[in-house]
Amino acid sequence: MNDVAPVLAVEGLSVRFGGHLAVSDVSIQVHAGRITGLIGPNGAGKTTTFNAICGVTPLSAGRVRLSGEDLGRLSTHQRARRGVGRTFQRLEVFSSLTVADNVRVGLEIRRSWSRRRPPAPQFLAGATDSSLTADDEVDLIVTRIGLADSADVPVGALSTGSARKVELGRALAARPRVLLLDEPASGLDDRETGDLGVLLGELAAAGLGVLLVEHDVALVMRVCADLSVLNFGQVIASGTPTEVQSNRAVLDAYLGGDEALRSTAPIVESELGASG
Amino acid sequence: MDKFLVFTIAGLSSAAIYAIAASGLVVTYTTSGIFNFAHGAFGMLAAFGFWQVSVAWGVPTIPAVILIVFVAAPLFGAVVERVIMRGIEGSSDVVKIVVTVSLMVALLGLAQVIWPPDVSRPVPPFFEGRSVEFAGVRVQWSRLLALVVAVVVAGGLRLLFTRTRLGIAMRAVVDDRSLLQLNGGRPGRTAMLSWGLGAALAAISGVLYSTEQTLSAVTLTLLVVNTYAVAVVGRLRSLPGAFLGAVILGLAQSYVTGYINPDLTVGPIALGNLAAALPAIMLFTVLLIQPEARLRSHGAARLRPPQPVPSQRIAVFGGLALVLVLAALGSLIAPSDLVLVTKGAGFALITLSLVPLTGYAGQISLAQLTFTGIGAVAMAAWGANGSPLAVAASIALCAAVGAVIALPALRLSGIYLALATAAFALFCTAMIFNQQQIIPSGSVQVPPLSIGPFTADTDFKQLVLLAILFAGTGNLLVWLRRSAWGRRLTAMKDSPVACATLGLNLTSTKVGVFALSAAIAGAGGALAGRTFTADNFALPSSLPVTMLAVVGGIGSIAGAFMGGMLLGAIPIASTVFAANAIGVFRFVSIPVRDVLTFTPGLMGISLGREPDGAAPQIAVGYRAVGRSAAALAFTVGGVVALWLATRFGPLAKWSFAAALFVFVVAAVPLLPLILRPVLPEDTAPPPRRLACALWLALVTVAAAVFPWADRISSNGVRILLIIVFAALSARVAIGILGVAPEQLRRPIPPSPDLVGVDRPLVRADALEATRQMGLSEDDFEAEVEAIGLEHVTASRGASAVAGADR
Repeated sequence: MNDVAPVLAVEGLSVRFGGHLAVSDVSIQVHAGRITGLIGPNGAGKTTTFNAICGVTPLSAGRVRLSGEDLGRLSTHQRARRGVGRTFQRLEVFSSLTVADNVRVGLEIRRSWSRRRPPAPQFLAGATDSSLTADDEVDLIVTRIGLADSADVPVGALSTGSARKVELGRALAARPRVLLLDEPASGLDDRETGDLGVLLGELAAAGLGVLLVEHDVALVMRVCADLSVLNFGQVIASGTPTEVQSNRAVLDAYLGGDEALRSTAPIVESELGASG
Repeated sequence: MDKFLVFTIAGLSSAAIYAIAASGLVVTYTTSGIFNFAHGAFGMLAAFGFWQVSVAWGVPTIPAVILIVFVAAPLFGAVVERVIMRGIEGSSDVVKIVVTVSLMVALLGLAQVIWPPDVSRPVPPFFEGRSVEFAGVRVQWSRLLALVVAVVVAGGLRLLFTRTRLGIAMRAVVDDRSLLQLNGGRPGRTAMLSWGLGAALAAISGVLYSTEQTLSAVTLTLLVVNTYAVAVVGRLRSLPGAFLGAVILGLAQSYVTGYINPDLTVGPIALGNLAAALPAIMLFTVLLIQPEARLRSHGAARLRPPQPVPSQRIAVFGGLALVLVLAALGSLIAPSDLVLVTKGAGFALITLSLVPLTGYAGQISLAQLTFTGIGAVAMAAWGANGSPLAVAASIALCAAVGAVIALPALRLSGIYLALATAAFALFCTAMIFNQQQIIPSGSVQVPPLSIGPFTADTDFKQLVLLAILFAGTGNLLVWLRRSAWGRRLTAMKDSPVACATLGLNLTSTKVGVFALSAAIAGAGGALAGRTFTADNFALPSSLPVTMLAVVGGIGSIAGAFMGGMLLGAIPIASTVFAANAIGVFRFVSIPVRDVLTFTPGLMGISLGREPDGAAPQIAVGYRAVGRSAAALAFTVGGVVALWLATRFGPLAKWSFAAALFVFVVAAVPLLPLILRPVLPEDTAPPPRRLACALWLALVTVAAAVFPWADRISSNGVRILLIIVFAALSARVAIGILGVAPEQLRRPIPPSPDLVGVDRPLVRADALEATRQMGLSEDDFEAEVEAIGLEHVTASRGASAVAGADR
């Protein structure tokens, strides 16, 4: 299944903060057209891995390759222009701009560099690449993230869940090849999470590579083709969701190794398995 | 060899003073997150205080030192923290910088009032006449004293920060203020202590410095630039770094003074001033070798709603109106006043240069007049015939210089740009504006613009030209603001890291804005068509430009115009009132012109409460008047009363005009806030309505009583002063009220998801919930009665709803 070259390859990534090794020897592959999940307890190093991939945090060892190209020394905006898009766990919306303008800024920034470096196609269904005007594309994105009714509302006035959708839409406007999503479903209700799952599936089917960090295990199990589990900065398991959810180390990581807690393991297993 | 040793020792002793001063700066910055531009002014006040106590009053040296360094200075620092700095915690960088710069300007003005600069005030060195032989060189004890004190300070600070609870609390307060509080620390007290400590260190350096150099308020205040150039070596956070920087700068300055022949020239530039330019050179070198700042994702703050951008139509009409009004005013007033109004219009163009940089991009420059100076000098050199080509070349030069200056600083954070621009101002003063070859005998005549048959050779033509330029540039800026580029700047202000992950090159974007800003400021010089002196371009002249631009309201073109006119008007007012004085309880009488020297500073300090500036607030206030029947009635009543008093009463026509103007500008926009009933959902401390109303009545009556017609002979100056009086009154009134009219803006309907999170749950929410549940309000009210609640709090409201449901 992994015979095609991955669009994003993280190889032996380590990030050190002073004396603290936040991420150690992490390797993850993201394939175009597939959603790769990255789960783990809080503090496991998921967001740090994201920061290292997009160049916000310098990496201490390892490599990050995009379609084979080493991103090593490139700055954040150069990586973005090569096709790394992301959203943030702690919201980074343009809170004084409206929903539509948040998306529009993403699009306009892309247009400022896309003449020199062609971006990926717009993977959203309904986007026929060449004929799409800026207004059309903004409308399309705003509708698809489910915020057509609040397009003219400043994002600062929206709920956290809606602001997360704005971040997703803005990232899509930049037309990345690989999209890093940091807990996109937190703050969404069940129906919205369902819609998000459908949207992600559609984007992947169109060819986008997605790396998904998410605590909503049901969503992860439903949409991900591959799954890696991070604990204390290390990958403790990876494979298909079915393989991972029967992995003993994963259950230990979520429960702690404490024998007394083992009795609750079946509950967690059933939770993990509910959607698998 | 002896010479080398002499200069080494001199260099080390000034290094010791820099190190002490810089450690104070680092202590306050790391513990409060506020970079104190007034640090040098603290030291300056201490030096003058020490002169007052020990020389003028004859107190012996040791008690005098104890009084100044260990009592007065820490107390002063603590008061400044409590009264000013605590209010701006959590504000944007721009507000923090403007408030401390304003404090610096205010203290400088205050010192010049108390200790007029025309008297020499020598302070004898410590241990006068005592010296030791060292390797064949005679060294004064006072020099050694500086070194010893620096070592003691270094050791003491190290012990404080590693071994004492207080020092550790000081470090903790920066990391996480609320966490410290949760753990039983008292961040407020800790911050006061660290400002006290910082002020004491400033005082030590100031007192030591005063014994080595002539006591000059300006020099001592600007010493802050040397101090932070030194502190930048440790990225403003590391004490050992600051000490290393101090040694480098102290020695470099000493060797330059000792070994470089002041008559040596490089091109037209004599190297005699090189020592004064060294801090800037050092600062830029250090900035260049610093690695680029890391982007951080700390979650974008929920910002205040953005200021509305005027439509292009309004901007065009506003611009036309401005040109017509200024032309009409210019044709009416006396020639001597016309010069002053023209100057004001020139300043307005320069303050406008800060609108894109500060208002749109959230960056700050303290050296706009330096670019004005470069524009003026270039125009004088290249465009003797007033050719537009020379104007274009001068403006392009300013843009290019601006880009080069901003590049190293903008790779780092916003605070470094402010530091770099101030250092650049000192550099240019030393190496360009104070050079005989470049500005002979200290003044430069900028030739008037000449296009074909038109030459701006009279003050009137010049005024109209400047008005057209202002209107044109203002329209350009509104257009830019509404374009993709303007949206991008707003986005960058809200979240730089998100912009970078979309592919935006942050550094080049910011450099572009800075170059635009420098170009506009340069145009203000190249097209000024008047004579400047070198002092006009110096840092102490630039600081009020930035301050008043921000006070006027930097997000808007109108705000920039207001700031510029204020700036132009202050010197006028100080000429007119040259002989007047304000008596305070008959003990002290302060000349009005002195009050005016530190007014800009006080205005800037008050900014902490309402960072949007005055003009937008006033505009918002008027909109609210239309929605409040009481305010509308009061407005009409006030105008009618004034008219009746003039028609049938004792009021003179000029007094009527002045009182009316003050009433309309200062009182009317605040009426809705003063007259509005207190609502149950008000959570902020109640505005001080009564005090504000009294103040507004007072200024209106004062405007009516003042004999405008007799005191001031010229119509133009009268009009200008009435405008300034009204603007100042409005500003103070907003300060007294403690609430900005901005809060009258129709709030964006909050998301129901956030009730109880971003604002407290109030009665109205409980009612709404009751309604949503299909229950009647009466059931709810009955339940509220039953529980016996006046105000519904979150949990009790919920239980009332639950009760109604039963």
